[in-house]
Amino acid sequence: MFPIKYNYLNKMKKILIAITLLFLVKLNYAQDLVKKIPSNAFTVATIKGDNVFKLMFVKDFNESFVGKKLLTETSKSLDKNFTSIEDFGINLEKNMYYFNQLSDSITYNCFLIPLKDAAKFENLINDKDKKFKTEGDIRTMVLPDSLSIIKWNNSMMYFVTGSIKTSFFADSAKSALYGIKDVGYGSQWNNDTIIDSTAVVTPVAVDSTYMATPEPMDGQGFDPPLVKVKIQKKTPIKKITTKKNISKKKSTKRKVIVKPKKNKAVEEELVANSVVITEPDSTYMVTPPSSAYGDEMYDGYQKERAEQDAKKKQLAFVWMTAQADKIFNSNYESIESNKSYTTSLDSKAIAELWVSSLQDVYNSIAPEFGTYGKTGLMKGYGSLNAKLFMDKTSFRISTGLELAKDQADAYKKIMNRKLNKNFLKYIDSEKAIGFMGYSIDTKAYLEEFPKLMKQTYGAFLGARMDEEIELGTDLFSLLLDEEAVSKVVKGDALFVINGLNSKEVTYTSYEYDDDYNRKEVTKTKKETLPDFLFMFSSEDNRLMNKLIKYGINKNYVTVNNNIYKIEEKKSPIDIYFMIKDGIVFFGNSITELESISNGSFNTSISKTHKTLLAKNNFSFLFNAKNLVGKVPNEEIGGEETAKKFNETLGKMGNIYMKSNPIKGNIVSADISAEIPNGHENALKYLFSLIENASK
Amino acid sequence: MNLKQFYKLLLFIVLIPILSSCFEVVEEISLRNDGTGDVALTINLSQSKTKVASIMLLDSVQGYKVPSKLKIQQELSEAVAYLKKSQGISNVKSTSDFNNYIATISFSFKDVSNINNITKNILTQQKIKATNTSSYSYIKTTKTFIRKYQALSTTKTEFNKLKSKDKAVFNGATYTSIYRFESPVTNTTNPASNLSKSKKAVMLKSSIMDLINGKINVSNQIQLSK
Repeated sequence: MFPIKYNYLNKMKKILIAITLLFLVKLNYAQDLVKKIPSNAFTVATIKGDNVFKLMFVKDFNESFVGKKLLTETSKSLDKNFTSIEDFGINLEKNMYYFNQLSDSITYNCFLIPLKDAAKFENLINDKDKKFKTEGDIRTMVLPDSLSIIKWNNSMMYFVTGSIKTSFFADSAKSALYGIKDVGYGSQWNNDTIIDSTAVVTPVAVDSTYMATPEPMDGQGFDPPLVKVKIQKKTPIKKITTKKNISKKKSTKRKVIVKPKKNKAVEEELVANSVVITEPDSTYMVTPPSSAYGDEMYDGYQKERAEQDAKKKQLAFVWMTAQADKIFNSNYESIESNKSYTTSLDSKAIAELWVSSLQDVYNSIAPEFGTYGKTGLMKGYGSLNAKLFMDKTSFRISTGLELAKDQADAYKKIMNRKLNKNFLKYIDSEKAIGFMGYSIDTKAYLEEFPKLMKQTYGAFLGARMDEEIELGTDLFSLLLDEEAVSKVVKGDALFVINGLNSKEVTYTSYEYDDDYNRKEVTKTKKETLPDFLFMFSSEDNRLMNKLIKYGINKNYVTVNNNIYKIEEKKSPIDIYFMIKDGIVFFGNSITELESISNGSFNTSISKTHKTLLAKNNFSFLFNAKNLVGKVPNEEIGGEETAKKFNETLGKMGNIYMKSNPIKGNIVSADISAEIPNGHENALKYLFSLIENASK
Repeated sequence: MNLKQFYKLLLFIVLIPILSSCFEVVEEISLRNDGTGDVALTINLSQSKTKVASIMLLDSVQGYKVPSKLKIQQELSEAVAYLKKSQGISNVKSTSDFNNYIATISFSFKDVSNINNITKNILTQQKIKATNTSSYSYIKTTKTFIRKYQALSTTKTEFNKLKSKDKAVFNGATYTSIYRFESPVTNTTNPASNLSKSKKAVMLKSSIMDLINGKINVSNQIQLSK
C-alpha cells in the first residue's frame, strides 16, 4: 500500500509542479502591457486579443468581409501585399490598450499595442530609414504633423498624441512660465512692455514619476528644431511695416526643456525642486497705433496668434517626447495598483472601458465652463466601467458606477423593494412584445431624494445656498408624508404589451354622385394596435377612489362592471382602468381588463421572464419576433415594406436590460441582445451584419 | 407616469416604424360662364386619425417638428387673412376638425387666374414646399378652361432625397380634382379625367406618388359648349 500511496503522492506533486510551471510560463508569456499604463491614467480601454480571436480564428478574420477589406485597403495604400492581419506584426493574442492622462495643462491620448514581429510592423512604414530613428532597441517616429509620436521596441508599440489645454494658457501667469502669451486682438498695443520670452528649465528630473531627457531627440533623420522652443526678439512696429524681415529675424534659437505638469502632487514637487528662471529677454517701448494701422494691426494679431500657437505645439511636443520616453525607459507605479481598476476587470470580456472618476471627469472639463467650474457637480460619483461580452448566444454590455458610501447607502435603501409577485400573473410570454418593470421603495425614495439632490447639486448652487437647500429639503419632508404617499404608490410598476389586436375604426371619406357632387360618408377600416397593460401596487385606494368619484361626476370617467373608461376625446385609443387586489391597472384592451377582473386571465409567464422581472429592480425586454407578421401589410405601407420590416424583426433576438443589485458601492446594469439562430457566435454575427450593411 | 407618457411609450414601440398613412387632398372649382367662381380645398387625414392623434402627442417625429393644434389653427387663419387681402378673392372661409383631422379652405374669385399664385403661396406659408408649377385660365370668348401642370424634375429629385421612411408617408395619399361648369363640356384633353353624367363636371383622381413621380399629369384643357 505504502509504495502505491507514495507513488500517487509523487504523481500529484509532479502534476502540481507542472501546473504551477505552466501557470508561471503563461504569466510570463502574457506579460501584459497593462504594466505600462501609469497609475494616474484617467481612462483605460482594452481590447482583449485572446478573447476576440477565440471567437474568430485569425484565418476566419482574414477571410471575412471586414478582414479582406482591411487587408486590400492597406495593401493598396502601402503598395504591398498583405494576406493576413498577422502581417502587421501585432501580437493578436495579447491585450491592446488605450489610455489617457489628464493634467491642468495637457491631455495625452495613448495607445499601447503588443507586437509580435517588429520587423513586420516596420514594414508598414514606407521609406522607413528616413522616417524613424533607432536608439538601442527602441525606435521612434514622429508623425508629419508633429502632434503625435510612435515609439516601439520588439514587444510593444506606443502611440501618443497630446493636446495642450487652452484654459491653462489663458492664465497669463502660468503661460508666462512657458514663454507663451495669451493673445487678444490688439493686445500687442496695450502692453507697454512685453516680456518676450521666459524659459523654465528643469535641470534634473525631480523624482521617479518623471524623467526629462536633457537632449531629447537629436539624431539623424529627426527634426531637431521641434524640441527647441524658438525664441525670437521682435519689435512689433518693424513686424508691421516689413513683414519679410521678421522671418529672417527668427534666428535666435535657444533650447529649452520644459517639464509638463502632471498632477497636483507632482506639481508641488516641481515647485519645490525645480529652478524656475524667469528672464525677461528684451524690453522695449511700443508706440501707440495710429488709426491707419487697423489692417496691419489685424495682420499682426493673426501673426502673433500663429506664433503663440506654434509655441504651444512645440511645448506639447516636448512634453509628449518626455512622456513617451518614460513609458519605455523608467519604472513607475502602474494602473494595476488601482483597486478600482483591477476590480472592474472581467477575464471573459472582449473589451473593457474604465474611467477613474466621474467627479474628476467633471472637474477636468469644468475649467472650460468658466466660473461654474469649481463646484464639483458630480460629487459622490466615482469610477465608471463598461464591459463588452460576446458569446455563442448573445452580446452583452455590462456597466458599473462606483458611488460614495453615503450615496450607495441611499440607493440601497431605495432599491430595497421587489416587484409585486401578482404582476407576473398578467404576462403572456408567448405573445408579449415587450415589458418593463421597476421597483423602488417610494418611502425611502422620498426620504433620500432631498439628500441626494443636495449632494449632487448642493455644490453647484454654491456654499452660500446651503441654508436655503436645507430649508427646501425640510419643507419637502414636511409637506409630504412619505409613509402615506408610499401607501398610495408603493413604488413598483410593470408595463407590458401582450401582443397586438386589430379593431375596427371609422373614418370620414367622400363619395361623388353622377354630377360629381361631393358627399361625406363614414367608412370603417381595421387597425392593428398593441394591447398594453400598466399596473402599479397601491395599498391605500382612498385617494384613487376620490379621484374616480370626481371624474365620474365631471363626466371624465364612465364605469361599467368596475372597469372605468377615460372619456378623453383627444386620445387616439380608449383607455380603461380598474383596481383589484391592491393593484391599479391601466390598459387599452377591454377584454384583457375584463379577464383580469373576473379572474379568467390566462397566466403563462416563462421562467426566464419571471426571473428577469422578479430578481431585478429594473428590467426591460423587447421581443421583436412576436411582432413578425402581426401587422397587416397595408398598415406598414405595402407588401414590399412589410416584407423588409418583418425580415428585420425576424432577425432580431430578444433584447434585455436589467439593473443588478448594488454590490459594495457599485451600481450596475446589463444590456444584452440575443443573436438569431444560425450564427456561431456574436462576433461572427456582428461581422455578417457589417457585411450586409455595406452591400 | 401620466397618460401622455403612456402614449409616447406605445408609439415608440410600435407606431414609429410604420408611419405610412392615408390622406386625401380634394380640389374643387366651380366656374361660372362669366369667369367668376368658387374654390374649395380639402385635406382629409381622417383615415389615419389614430396615427395623427398619436403623432400630435409627440414633439417631433422622424426629425420633423409636429405642430400643435393651436399652431395649425393659427396657420390656417393666417392663410385666410392672406387670401382676404389677395386680389379678386372674396368670401374666404376655413374649417378645421380635430376629431377627424379634416381641414378646408374655400373662397370665391373674380377670375380663375386669381388662384394661380395663391395655392403656391399658401403652401409656402404653410411651410410646405410648393411642388409644382400649375396655373388655371379661362378664355371667355372661346369658353375654354385650361389647367396647366408641369411636374418639375426637381420635385422628383427632392423627393427621392427623402428617407424611405418619410416617403412612405405619401404611399396611400390621393389627389382628386373636380371642376364644375354651368355649360356642358364638349371635350377634355386629359384621358385620365372623367366626365360626369350631366357633362357639367370633370373629375381626375390620382395618387400623390404618381403626381410626384410625374407618372400622371393633371393638365387638362376643357372645352365648354358655346
